[in-house]
Amino acid sequence: MSDSESFLRMRTLQVIVILIFAVIVARLGYIQLFDRRYAELAEANVLRHVVQYPPRGEVFDRNGEYLVQSRECYDLMVIYREIDKRGFDTARLCEVAGISRTKLERELANARVRPRAPRVVTSYIPKEDKLRFDEGNFRGFYTVYRTVRQYPRKVGGNLLGYVSEVNDTYLKRHPEYKVGDYVGMSGVESAYEPELRGTKGVKIQEIDTHGAIKGSYMNGRYDSLPEPGSYLVSTIDARLQLLGEELMRGKVGAAVAIEPSTGEILMMVSSPTYDPDELVGRERGNNYMKMLYNKRKPLFNRAVKAKYPPGSTFKLVQGLIGLQEGVLKPSDLHVCHNGYQAGRLKMACHSHASPLDLRFAVATSCNAYFCYVFRDILDNPKYDNVKEGFDVWKEYVESFGFGRKLGSDFLDEGNGYVPDRAYYDRQYRGSWNSLTILSLSIGQDALGCTPLQLANLACIIANRGYYYIPHIVKQVEGQDSLDRRFYERHYTKVDPKHFEPIVEGMWRGVNVGGTSTMARLDGWDVCGKTGTAENPRGRDHSTFLSFAPKDNPRIAISVYVENGGFGASAALPIASLLEEFYLTDTIRRPALLDHVRNMQIHYPVYDK
Amino acid sequence: MTSNRHNGIFDGVDRVTVLLYVLIVLAGFVSIISASYDDSTARTFSLSHFYMKQLVWIGIAWVTALVVLLLDERYYHMFAYPAYFVGLGLLVAALLFGREVNGAKAWFEFGSVRVQPVEFAKIATALALARVMSNYSFSINRPGDLFKVGMVICIPLMIIILQNDTGSGIVLGSFLFVLYREGLNKWLCIPVLLIGALFIVSFLLSPMMLLLCLILVCTLSEAMMNGLWRSRIIFLAALLLAAILLCLVMALLSPGSLDLYHSLLLMTLVAVAVAAVYAYRSHLTNIFITLGLFVGSLVFLPTTDYIFNSILKQHQRDRILSFLGIISDPLGTDYNVNQAKIAIGSGGFAGKGFLQGTQIKYGFVPEKHTDFIFCTVGEEWGFLGTTFVLAVLCLLILRLMRMGERQEEPFGRIYCYCVASILLFHVLVNVGMTIGLMPVMGIPLPFMSYGGSSLIAFTILLFIAVRLDASTRQFSLNRIA
Repeated sequence: MSDSESFLRMRTLQVIVILIFAVIVARLGYIQLFDRRYAELAEANVLRHVVQYPPRGEVFDRNGEYLVQSRECYDLMVIYREIDKRGFDTARLCEVAGISRTKLERELANARVRPRAPRVVTSYIPKEDKLRFDEGNFRGFYTVYRTVRQYPRKVGGNLLGYVSEVNDTYLKRHPEYKVGDYVGMSGVESAYEPELRGTKGVKIQEIDTHGAIKGSYMNGRYDSLPEPGSYLVSTIDARLQLLGEELMRGKVGAAVAIEPSTGEILMMVSSPTYDPDELVGRERGNNYMKMLYNKRKPLFNRAVKAKYPPGSTFKLVQGLIGLQEGVLKPSDLHVCHNGYQAGRLKMACHSHASPLDLRFAVATSCNAYFCYVFRDILDNPKYDNVKEGFDVWKEYVESFGFGRKLGSDFLDEGNGYVPDRAYYDRQYRGSWNSLTILSLSIGQDALGCTPLQLANLACIIANRGYYYIPHIVKQVEGQDSLDRRFYERHYTKVDPKHFEPIVEGMWRGVNVGGTSTMARLDGWDVCGKTGTAENPRGRDHSTFLSFAPKDNPRIAISVYVENGGFGASAALPIASLLEEFYLTDTIRRPALLDHVRNMQIHYPVYDK
Repeated sequence: MTSNRHNGIFDGVDRVTVLLYVLIVLAGFVSIISASYDDSTARTFSLSHFYMKQLVWIGIAWVTALVVLLLDERYYHMFAYPAYFVGLGLLVAALLFGREVNGAKAWFEFGSVRVQPVEFAKIATALALARVMSNYSFSINRPGDLFKVGMVICIPLMIIILQNDTGSGIVLGSFLFVLYREGLNKWLCIPVLLIGALFIVSFLLSPMMLLLCLILVCTLSEAMMNGLWRSRIIFLAALLLAAILLCLVMALLSPGSLDLYHSLLLMTLVAVAVAAVYAYRSHLTNIFITLGLFVGSLVFLPTTDYIFNSILKQHQRDRILSFLGIISDPLGTDYNVNQAKIAIGSGGFAGKGFLQGTQIKYGFVPEKHTDFIFCTVGEEWGFLGTTFVLAVLCLLILRLMRMGERQEEPFGRIYCYCVASILLFHVLVNVGMTIGLMPVMGIPLPFMSYGGSSLIAFTILLFIAVRLDASTRQFSLNRIA
């Protein structure tokens, strides 16, 4: 081989060596300088983002008393891959966590499916047990700080609602939530979820390949603290609520009290109710199922969802519409001899003086009087036919908040029901008149009102013509005011000047002579109207509508007791006691209190 | 030359090489500290740490280097063959009595110290190769001599592959680099490389395609060697036509008895015979070399499937398949490479700093102080560090080649090139695998990976070259004086 050939080959080999190194350096330059993916992957390797759950906001009543508190507790988590393969003291772990061995084994089997993902083994470990767990030093297991709800007064189950872990369907609709988050599922918890939940924090930890924690990342520079949820001041009066629940015990129905001058809901009882603490913690699932299968349906919030026939309390609305339409004057007299008769149709009434004017008709709850009024409204010659008249009537009724949601801050509100033309056209194949639907005049037939709507009616009359939208929250931490709709007066289509005779009638019914005399409170000018609603499910429903005092009223209340009989026998005493307690802070009628407390109504419909 | 023995042992020693060697060993030591440092271990200077053990090994290696420098250079020439046979003996002994580590039966164990004879077999093979090729009558393009060279390389290679230490075995293949320098026809080097590549991807191709590729590669390289393109193309065309014709005729005579592949195979055998006769009559002896290569490949190619499926272990198969992109399994086979890439890539330009590498410290990189030591450099010292280490290694290899070029004796030159090629192959494969350029083969990064036997063997390998070079320089320096 010649020297020049050798030289050429030496050069070639040098070039090959340099080329090889150049390729390696180029590749290194690419992955170290340009491809930032690897830096992210490195972080994903060593960093574990531990969610710091914020304590949920607390709820106070209107006097600053706790309705809902948050209590510290811990979730026990496991990352399957990191469990000590040589085994661990299962007996001690079970004992500390308060779970059975079979449950632990089941959870571990589940965790095995995704060995790197954290999984909840059990929740609601109290603080003391958590400290004992920390001593045990179980590899692969760790605890996460959570808060659970606790209810010092044990009132307002349906009202306050409950909190539970998000489920799959909820996650699909709300992608901002993550598995393991708690969310308000009903009542105030659900309506004020964004305010109550707070902001989650994160703690970034460095972990090694076995998942063992090696320290905090960058000395916690990128960590964030959880921000607790805002507290709420509710409009509820806890003591009134407690008394209300006590008085409603043993009866099915609802009682709602509102402050007429603001629309603030003072009390909202749905009976039967439940101890809200039962829907917290490990037994939540079991208790929930028990309630779900309870025939009296304690989870159904009757105060805002039930559709009850309003019965005689609806005569107030009837009278007001009549006055506004000009078909009725307060002094108009009608005759009633134990009822209203038109052809073969007869609407019975009880015995009272006759003829009678509007005020007395309200006080004594005369059926016949309002049959005349109702027919006059519908058959008013102003309108072409009875159906037109019916439409006008319906519009008036809806302006009182019936047949629609009131727009409160309470999410579960029901519509109630006011029948329309189409309904009766279907019902009577198009041929009907004011006589056919006469029972509407006394709040029967297809009419359905929620107890909240009835309480709102009491407010409208107490205010002589307008209402504020009823609401349950007075103040949210960090917010100056509520939504402005809660500060606006909503007028009905009836002029305020027409309200005085109706109020007068209600006052007489209590204080002079009528169906409501038992509701009389000395010095407080109580106004009230009883209602006794026929229904296909047994005994009549008992209802009572009231406000007090007559001038500058402080409380408006509606009580509805299913199958309670006459309005005056069940609903009235409950409403009266609540008014007395709210206005005077005491109860001077212990006998009545005992009578109501011990009143147990028999419900063949529910307790079959 | 004997008159110079009174001179100190460092006379004529190439200082640049020694400096580069010290730099790279220190870089390795720093990396091993990072890779094995653990905050939780109490005593810093305890022998239980890898880096303290490595410190001891570095001391031993430097003493060994002194011993190598002390010996007369003629001994290396003299003992080349004995060392080679002792090396072969050790390899066989390891195969028979050795201890299995990571699936390779390639280790001797003395107490807590494990030695891999293959490290020393590399030195012996390099010496023997230098000895064979430095014979006066040696001519690399003569088939007989080339066969000898082939034997010297292939015998240890076979034994190492039988030990299931494929990575180390293939290192010996890097001597092709030396053969090229010594005048091996380049049109022989290229088909050897191509056939090597064919072996790797053989299970991807059908036997028909494989055979066609092989014929094409060999014929073309032969044509490049001897010119005479026309006759080679006629030869190729005739071969293909004859194969197709044979297939058609057989299909008419007895359908289904002979398919296209077997017709081609049959005609190829005829063609080999024709080519041999042609070579003999036209005195083109280098055709025999190509033919030998071709027949050898033809015999071995069908066995690659067998080798792949029965000799290679599952994890080795997976590594090759995953490297070729045939299977992807980020948590299994790809895991090591991915984690290595993540560690290096996350280092960025200047790295995370000494002892700050999270991927290394928290154990995400496997074998972090041995085969994947380069990841430590990449993560803690960044692009600057990796470029520095590679630059030092590159300079060392170029320096060795330059040292080879200034030897007066072919023995020294060939040996220096052998060392350069071994180092080059190790660096290429080791660094290449950490950045996903090469499949994972368990071979260490020279001078840097943790391990006494590897460090000492590489030191001996290098310092023999330094010793050979030193005497040449001593000689010429004295002559000038």
